[in-house]
Amino acid sequence: MEIIIQQLINAVQLGAVYALIALGYSMVYGIIRLINFAHGDIFMVGAFIGFLLAVKFKLPFVFILLLTMFLTALLGIAIERIAYHKLRNAHRMSLVITALGVGTFLENLVRLAVGPQTRQIPAQLSNNILHLTNGIVVTEDKLLIIGISIMLMIVLWLFVNKTLIGKAMRAVADNIDVVPLMGINVDMIVSVTFAIGSALAAAGGIFFGQSYSIEPYMGIDLGWKAFIAAVVGGIGSIEGAVVGSFILAGIEVFTVAYLSSNLKNGIAFALLIILLVIWPYGIMGKPSLKKV
Amino acid sequence: MSLLELNNLTVSYGPIKALHGITIRVEEGELVSLLGANGAGKSTTLRSISRLIPILEGDILFNGKSILNLTAYQIVSLGISHVPEGRGIFPSLTVMENLELSSWTVKDKKKIKHNLSRIFSIFPRLEERKNQLAGTLSGGEQQMLAVGRAMMTDCRLMLLDEPSMGLSPLLVKEVFKVLKEINNSGTTILLVEQNANMALKIADRGYVIENGRIALEGPAEHLMQDKRVKEAYFGKEKK
Ligand SMILES: Nc1ncnc2c1ncn2[C@@H]1O[C@H](COP(=O)(O)OP(=O)(O)OP(=O)(O)O)[C@@H](O)[C@H]1O
Ligand SMILES: [Mg+2]
Repeated sequence: MEIIIQQLINAVQLGAVYALIALGYSMVYGIIRLINFAHGDIFMVGAFIGFLLAVKFKLPFVFILLLTMFLTALLGIAIERIAYHKLRNAHRMSLVITALGVGTFLENLVRLAVGPQTRQIPAQLSNNILHLTNGIVVTEDKLLIIGISIMLMIVLWLFVNKTLIGKAMRAVADNIDVVPLMGINVDMIVSVTFAIGSALAAAGGIFFGQSYSIEPYMGIDLGWKAFIAAVVGGIGSIEGAVVGSFILAGIEVFTVAYLSSNLKNGIAFALLIILLVIWPYGIMGKPSLKKV
Repeated sequence: MSLLELNNLTVSYGPIKALHGITIRVEEGELVSLLGANGAGKSTTLRSISRLIPILEGDILFNGKSILNLTAYQIVSLGISHVPEGRGIFPSLTVMENLELSSWTVKDKKKIKHNLSRIFSIFPRLEERKNQLAGTLSGGEQQMLAVGRAMMTDCRLMLLDEPSMGLSPLLVKEVFKVLKEINNSGTTILLVEQNANMALKIADRGYVIENGRIALEGPAEHLMQDKRVKEAYFGKEKK
């Protein structure tokens, strides 16, 4: 029983990182029907910005987190403006190819800037061991990361559902052509969406870097997994991205714990395919009314 | 000076011209109907005014000023609101959220409240369903929501694209009555319709558009008597 709970905590931590990435995939797809394949690399850039800030400036963790989220948000806005904006009404395939290109560009840019070797973000959080009941142990940093991640998701949910800009984002997802007739600047809403998605991915990058080493190609694998989590949850749905991410992380962690780490991806993806057969539009997704 | 002037407006979709230099004027306070058969260019006219599509030639003046260099979302803060063909509501937002969003350009909170209570007094049905998803409303209710949304923008000029489409005769009557009320309270209306009979009954003046050209224009009662209008649009549709 203790082991199960211990693994559950690990799954929640991994799931939180997946979710922070998956949210950006899902939100961007929701509003402009773009699968932003550069998103995993934005996550990677976020991790490296956090790394550089931690090494160079020795700022408190919260500052590094916020500053990294801010800078990565600007990067997301810039990518959309420069690479995707003109293609908004182009064939979806052109957009996907462009996104893959942007991703490759970011990987090479970071590799050029800091080299291909793996790095470690200096530990800034206390990793004191806390003893919970029944001999379950957890480090403080883990708990803090899980806490901040869940808080970010709650803030996002409130933003999207309760604020006027959030409602405008959902309106763009519903019917982008009508939004200007409400006096709303669609470009602004798209920028906000990229900013939020990128900032969350950056937070995911920093959290990931607290437990694992980082390198310029780390966004490929994690990006794919987060993307798949978003699809399984129902791409376009915020709740779906979170649900899909925790399911994926749960499957992975328990496969490693009870079966074999070699089977991790195989079993995870097999189960995800089964979930998609049961819910073709994802667990929380709806059939799209719009043609893509 | 007219509130809205379309001067020699020419619009094309790719190589195909949809409007061949049309000229329309709408005076402040008027209700003007724009009639025409399928594909005549009615929606294209409204979409040009809202700056949703580019213009080849001609000019559009609102309140005496050209609006050609503005983009669609900026038109709304000038005071022009467009209820598009097919209503264009946001189905996965609630009725209330739809209304809230359309007050985006209105900064005065009191005004928003006032507009909302006015809409709810005209369409009590919307108030009853304010927390319902707009996509689950009936066609008639969706049309009410679309008109309500336009009222929320606090507009001087309301453009309506076939608000009678898909509604029962009884509901059409109700919607048109509301449009006349909105007009009487000071909002200028340019109404696109295929339902010529109803549209001319509430209009001050009308235009008939055929193949992208203005074929007829005049006071509504004259048009109602006009033989060509009668033949083309009353009773059975011939075109
Ligand atoms: N997006 C488009 N691309 C190409 N041609 C178009 C487009 N939209 C409209 N047209 C053409 O322009 C002409 C005018 O269309 P418009 O939609 O303005 O007609 P309408 O008078 O509103 O007709 P309806 O009563 O059927 O709505 C038609 O011949 C139509 O085929
Ligand atoms: Mg039309």
